[in-house]
Amino acid sequence: MPLDSRRICGPESTQSPHIFTVNKDIKSDILLNGERKDGRKLDQIRPLFLRPGLISQAKGSAYIEQNHTKVICAVYGPREVMRKEDFSMKGQLTCEFKFATFSCKKKRQHQQDAEEKDLSVQLLEALEPAVQLDKFPKAQVNVYITVLQNDGIALAASITCASLALADAGIEMYDIVVGSSARIHGDVMLVDPSEEEEYRSQDCKDVNEGKVVIGLMPSINQISALTSKGEIDFETISQAIKTCIQTCQKVYPVLQNALVNSVKTKT
Amino acid sequence: MADVNYSEAEKTFILHGIQDKFPCREDGRGCEDYRHMEIETGVVSNTSGSARLRLANTDILVGVKAELGVPSPEKPDSGCIEFFVDCSANATPEFEGRGGEELATEISTVLSRCYDNSGCLDLKSLCIIPKQQCWILYIDVLLLECGGNLFDAASIGVKAALYNTRIPNVTVNQEDDEMEIELSDDPYDVNRLDISSSPCIVTLSKIGHYHVVDASQKEEACCLARLMMGVTAKGTISALKKEGWGSLNPESIFDMMETGKKIGQVLNTSLLNVLEEEEKSGNKRKTVGFLK
Amino acid sequence: MATVDIRFVGARGKKDNIETVEEIQNLVTPGDIITTDTGFMRGHGTFMENEKLHASVAGVVERVNKLICVKPLKTRYNGEIGDVVIGRIIEVCQRRWKVETHSKLNSVLMLSSVNLPGGELRRRSEEDEKLMRHYLKEGDLISAEVQNIMGDGCLSLHTRSLKYGKLGQGTLLSISPSLIKRRKTHFHNLPCGASIILGNNGYVWISPNVNEETDNTGGYEQNLEPVPNDVRIVVARLRNSILALADHHMIIYDTSIMYAYEASLLFTVKDMLKPEVTSEIIDLIQQRMELEGT
Repeated sequence: MPLDSRRICGPESTQSPHIFTVNKDIKSDILLNGERKDGRKLDQIRPLFLRPGLISQAKGSAYIEQNHTKVICAVYGPREVMRKEDFSMKGQLTCEFKFATFSCKKKRQHQQDAEEKDLSVQLLEALEPAVQLDKFPKAQVNVYITVLQNDGIALAASITCASLALADAGIEMYDIVVGSSARIHGDVMLVDPSEEEEYRSQDCKDVNEGKVVIGLMPSINQISALTSKGEIDFETISQAIKTCIQTCQKVYPVLQNALVNSVKTKT
Repeated sequence: MADVNYSEAEKTFILHGIQDKFPCREDGRGCEDYRHMEIETGVVSNTSGSARLRLANTDILVGVKAELGVPSPEKPDSGCIEFFVDCSANATPEFEGRGGEELATEISTVLSRCYDNSGCLDLKSLCIIPKQQCWILYIDVLLLECGGNLFDAASIGVKAALYNTRIPNVTVNQEDDEMEIELSDDPYDVNRLDISSSPCIVTLSKIGHYHVVDASQKEEACCLARLMMGVTAKGTISALKKEGWGSLNPESIFDMMETGKKIGQVLNTSLLNVLEEEEKSGNKRKTVGFLK
Repeated sequence: MATVDIRFVGARGKKDNIETVEEIQNLVTPGDIITTDTGFMRGHGTFMENEKLHASVAGVVERVNKLICVKPLKTRYNGEIGDVVIGRIIEVCQRRWKVETHSKLNSVLMLSSVNLPGGELRRRSEEDEKLMRHYLKEGDLISAEVQNIMGDGCLSLHTRSLKYGKLGQGTLLSISPSLIKRRKTHFHNLPCGASIILGNNGYVWISPNVNEETDNTGGYEQNLEPVPNDVRIVVARLRNSILALADHHMIIYDTSIMYAYEASLLFTVKDMLKPEVTSEIIDLIQQRMELEGT
C-alpha cells in the first residue's frame, strides 16, 4: 500500500492493552491436562473451508478459512513486464503478503513491515517451484495475499490459498502447493496451531520449543518451502517435518475437491 | 547478486565433479569442506565488540553496539538484539543505491530468526530494570566483498563479534521511588556475553542430486535450492529455511539436515577454539586490521 | 569428512623480511614530471602540460627511442592485434556477438569472422543469422584472436582457425593481464593431462586434454560426458597452482605453471587453498628457477 503522506498515522508507539493484562499463567502452558484448549486432538487440523474465484476482476482468486484464520488471495497476469531491466526469457512471479491492519491482536501498519516482507519472500519461494515459469516468457504473474483475520500460521494458510488461486487463474503448474505447520512443545507436537498455541520466543525457556512450516507438492512429493523457528533438536525437527507432510497429504484432496467443485458450479 | 551467466559446459563440469564417486570440486575440495577462513576480533575501537571474517573472497565486518533503551512491552524483562545488514557497493556495483537491499533483508531476517529463542543468547541478562531499562544490542553486518556463501560468513562474524562484546557494568541504586543507573567508569569492569550456545548458519546447496557446503559463487549459480540451518554447538537446530526457486525431495532434506548438523557442530567448536586461542595470545598478537 | 579451516589473523605464519627485490628504477606516480625536454614524444600513460611531460598513471617509465610511455602496475586489458583472448558472450546482436574480454569496452565478434560448423566456407546467409544463438549463446565461453582495434579501443575478434572457438568443459580463471607472458603460443597441452589456454587478457582456461586431430571442430560439438576423476584433480591442482602464482605476482607461462604444478604435488589439492602452503610452493618454485637460471 502506498504511503499516504497526508494521512495522520497517529502516534507511532501505541500499544495494545492486551499486552499488559496479566494472564501469563494461562499462556505458560498451551496444553490443559494433555489436551488442546479448543478440544482438538494433537494431530487434528481445524475445519477447513476453501473457495476459489471470489474476486471477479482478478484472473484468479481464492479464499481460505480455518476457524478464525481467514485469508484472501488474488492473482493477476500473466502480463508483460514493464521494466526493461527485468527482462527475462522465463516468466516472473511476484508475491505481496499483507496483514490487514486490524487482522492481528497487534495493530499492523499500512506499509509492509519487515515481517510481512519476509513472509512475501517465503511465499514466493514456496510457489515458484510449482509454477511453470517457462510457459510465459517475458511476462509476470502477481500474487496478492491479504490476511483478513489471523488466528495462527497465516503463512501455511496463505501458501494453500495462493496455489488454489493460481490454479483458478489457469496458470500452468507442476502441482498444487499445500502448506501446513506444526508447533513443537517439548515432546508433543501440535498440528495446525491456533494463535494461542503459536510459538513465541519470549514465552519459552527450554529447548524443543518451536514451529515448523512446510509447503508440499503432494503428487510429485517435493518440498517447496521449509522454515522453522526456535531451538529444536534434530530428531524432533525431522519428526515434525514428517508430521507436516502427512497433514499436507490429508489436506490435498480437499483442495482438489474445491477446484473440481468450482468448475462444476460454473458449467 | 553478481550474476554472470555461465555456459552449459561449465555448469556440467561442476555438476559432474560433485556427482563423482570421489567428489572433487573446482578447487579440489570435497563436498563438506569449507574454504580457508581468517578471523580477527576487536578491529573497530568505537564498538562494544567487533569482528572481521574473511572466507576466501568473502569479506565481512561485524560491529556490535550496546545502547540503553526501553524493553519492548512484549518482553519487559529482557534486552533486545537487532540485526542490520549493509551490502556495501564496495562489494559489487550492483549493490549501489537500493540494489543490495533485498539480499540484506534476507540475511538479517535469517540471522534474527536464528537468535530468536531463549537458548541461543541470554537476553534476560541484558535487562537492567524490568519494563524500564535494558541493553539493546545493535548488530551491524557490513559486507565488504562477496565471494559466495554470505549467510554462513555473516553468522560466523556475528558470533565472533558477540564473543568480543564487552558491556559496561551498571549498578542500580534505588532512592525512594527513583531508580538511578550508575555506569561503571572502569573500562575493565565489563560483562561478557555467553556465546557457547549461539548458532552458526550452515548453508547446504543442492547441486544435481548432491549437496555441498560453502558454495563458491560459481557453484551458487548452478544450485537450484539451498537449505539454510542455524546449528548450535549442541547440534540443535535454531532455524531452518529453504531458499531458491527449486524444490526438494523430503529424503534429501533429511540428508541435508544430517550433514548440516554434523558440519555445524564442527564449525562451532573450531570457531570457539580459535576465538579462545586469540584471546589467550592477548596483547602480544599483532593486529592486522583491514590488510589482506 | 568435513573440514573447517579457520584461524585468527594473528596466527598467520610470519612473513616478515620480504625478500628485497632489486630496486625498480623509474617509478612514477600520476602528476610526476618525467622530463622537461621537449624532444620526446608523448606515449600512453603520459600527458603534456606547460611543455613538460607528466605521468598520468602510477607505473614504470619506458622509453623507446624518442617515445616515452608509462606502463601502469595494474590495468584493464589493452588489446593488441594478434592477441589470444578468452571471452564470454554477453549479448547476441544483429550479425555480431558482444563479448566480455576484461577490456574497457565489450569486444565484438562478427558473424562473418567465425567458422561455421563443419568448417564450411561461404557467405553468411540470413539463415545463419537466425541460427546465431544456436552457434553461440549468452554465457558461452570462446577463445579468439584480436583481429582489429577500433578507434574507441573496442576489440574486434575472430575465430577463423580451428584452434579457436567455443570452449567446452573446464575452469575459467581471471588474473591480472600483466602477469601473462607473451609467447609464441598460448595453447599448451600439458604433460600432466590437461590443457590450458593463457589468454592475453588475463583469462586462463584449464580443460581436460583435447585430442588435436579429432576435437578441433571449433567447439560446436560439445562433449558433456563426465570427466574422469584423475583428470578433474589435475585441473583443480592446476587451477590452484596458477592462482598461487598470480597471488604472488609471478609471471605466468607454461614453464612456471609446470614448476608450480610439480612443486604442489607435495600437498593435497585441498591444502593448496591455505596461504602458508601457497607461499611454500612459491618458495620452491623460486629456488628451482634460480637453479635452472630460467
